[in-house]
Amino acid sequence: MVWENIKLAFKSMFTNKLRTILSLLGIVIGVMSVVTILTLGNSASGSITDAISTGGTDLITIYTSGNSSTFTEEFGDTLRRNINGIDAVTPMGSQQVRVRYKDTTSNYTVNGVQASWAELMKYNVAQGEWFSTEDNLSRRQVVVLGSEVAKKLFPGGDAVGNYVSVFRTQAKRYLVVGVMEEKDATLSVSFNNAVFMPYNTMKLRLGGSSRVGTYIVKVSEGKDSTVVSDDIRDYLDNLVGSDAYSIFSASTLTSIANDITDTFTTFLAAIAGISLLVGGIGIMNIMLVSVAERTREIGIRKALGASPKVIRGQFITEAIALTMVGGLIGIGLGTFISKLVTNLAGWSFKVSIPAYALSVGFSMVIGIFFGWYPAKKAAKLDPIDALNYE
Amino acid sequence: MVPVIELDNVSRYYIVGDFIVRALDQVSLQIQKGEFTAIMGPSGSGKSTLMNMVGCLDTPTSGRILIDGADINGLSEEDLAYIRNKKIGFVFQQFNLLPKLNALENVMTPLLYTGDIGVSERKLRAQEALEKVGLKDRMKHRPNELSGGQKQRVAIARALVTQPSLILADEPTGALDTKTGIQIMDLFKELNNEGHTIVIVTHNDEIGTSCPRLVRIRDGKIEENA
Repeated sequence: MVWENIKLAFKSMFTNKLRTILSLLGIVIGVMSVVTILTLGNSASGSITDAISTGGTDLITIYTSGNSSTFTEEFGDTLRRNINGIDAVTPMGSQQVRVRYKDTTSNYTVNGVQASWAELMKYNVAQGEWFSTEDNLSRRQVVVLGSEVAKKLFPGGDAVGNYVSVFRTQAKRYLVVGVMEEKDATLSVSFNNAVFMPYNTMKLRLGGSSRVGTYIVKVSEGKDSTVVSDDIRDYLDNLVGSDAYSIFSASTLTSIANDITDTFTTFLAAIAGISLLVGGIGIMNIMLVSVAERTREIGIRKALGASPKVIRGQFITEAIALTMVGGLIGIGLGTFISKLVTNLAGWSFKVSIPAYALSVGFSMVIGIFFGWYPAKKAAKLDPIDALNYE
Repeated sequence: MVPVIELDNVSRYYIVGDFIVRALDQVSLQIQKGEFTAIMGPSGSGKSTLMNMVGCLDTPTSGRILIDGADINGLSEEDLAYIRNKKIGFVFQQFNLLPKLNALENVMTPLLYTGDIGVSERKLRAQEALEKVGLKDRMKHRPNELSGGQKQRVAIARALVTQPSLILADEPTGALDTKTGIQIMDLFKELNNEGHTIVIVTHNDEIGTSCPRLVRIRDGKIEENA
């Protein structure tokens, strides 16, 4: 009987194609919106996580401020000895400088870092090489350029082996030893528009405050970076107070970002859900029309022995079939649109299975809910009246 | 022998505004198995009401209706539907075929509501019924591709297919030309000869008098019960 009802439902949907399509539109748009929003939310959240993790989820960045004399180069070792789960700590200094090559001059951030830094950040050399520990210890005047800096100063691609002038109070010539690959900025470092030089060289030549501006902490393998960053926070709060530093780790940022996207997604999906409700009312409307139009058919079926229960089943099935077809079309369109948008935005496309399940389930519930009243009306028709209906 | 249908002092009143319309007034009637009965009367005589009662589409205000000896009084809609399906085969003036279904599917429909017959057997029995009314080569045709006489034959096949106790025909020739009407009446006679119990409701004298038994009804009462 169920199977017969499904066949009947599709038969009646096909006899009135245009009307079926129009009455489905509400559900299609509703489901499409829900699927698109949830899928995009899922994909965006994934992309945010990816973006944050490019710097490495095992990295914690500590920014220092104020005049505390605690933040020396050696403080990195102190930190490593006092807190469990730290693999390495490397100091980093940043300053704004002017860099010139021939007639081109531009302002850049110069980062003074140790030789191990590039590997720590998973930052790869495109041409030439990264500077060595020896360069750092000997305070050699060498620089490595971020990809955009190299492009701007050396449009011909001949950066390595040439000298650039770096200004602070006076110009000094630095040998370009390497050009780096492109790398998306993390929340603590921008790579492509920066110039990198040995930490000690920077300290000697560019001076500035004796305080180390930034420490990059690498968490030991298998340790939870959230736990380690909490431990660092406790330690520093005791030592210098919470005003003297701020701390960022990829994993805490990821969870904050995910919370935000989740909230937005839920909010938008709820709004889209309202359009599903409107779609459901459309279904109810068309089912009422259908029952009125087919009054005679209902009368005939009742005369042939269809019980009220059977008639009700027939019309409920029809309503469910309508909403399910609408739901499936909506899922298809929603997936297509999300795929399009993620491609345009450059996010990785992540299908949201709960979105599909939710849409199919919700379509069915709407079919039952809004099909119930018309079906009940059909079931209660008096067979004699229905047979004489013109 | 238990009559197929027994009406025992059956009345059916309608309230229209302040009036009570006595559509049927204390009617008693028995129809035996194998009978071929015409119920005749002018319009407004109560014959449609009588037909609706016999067909279990309506229940009496007072009195009893027994079908195969079972009282239908107080039965629910579900039970009445079951009795219509099992015991009664309807044939209507306007054929009342389902327009989206072909002849075979139309004839299969009542068996669907029987609930316990598989699709292959439904098809087989519908084919047999269509063959019996001479429509073996029209099974896949939809009603709009059939002539009036053919439509009525499909309707008769649909009435036959459940092997009901009674075939109840309401003006079965009313929408047909004279020649086709005679063919349909011949088909009913043939079915009666095979043992089917048939009741035809009509206002047409010619049809009425051609049936072996004639019941005349006027103003809600039985006038002649031959």
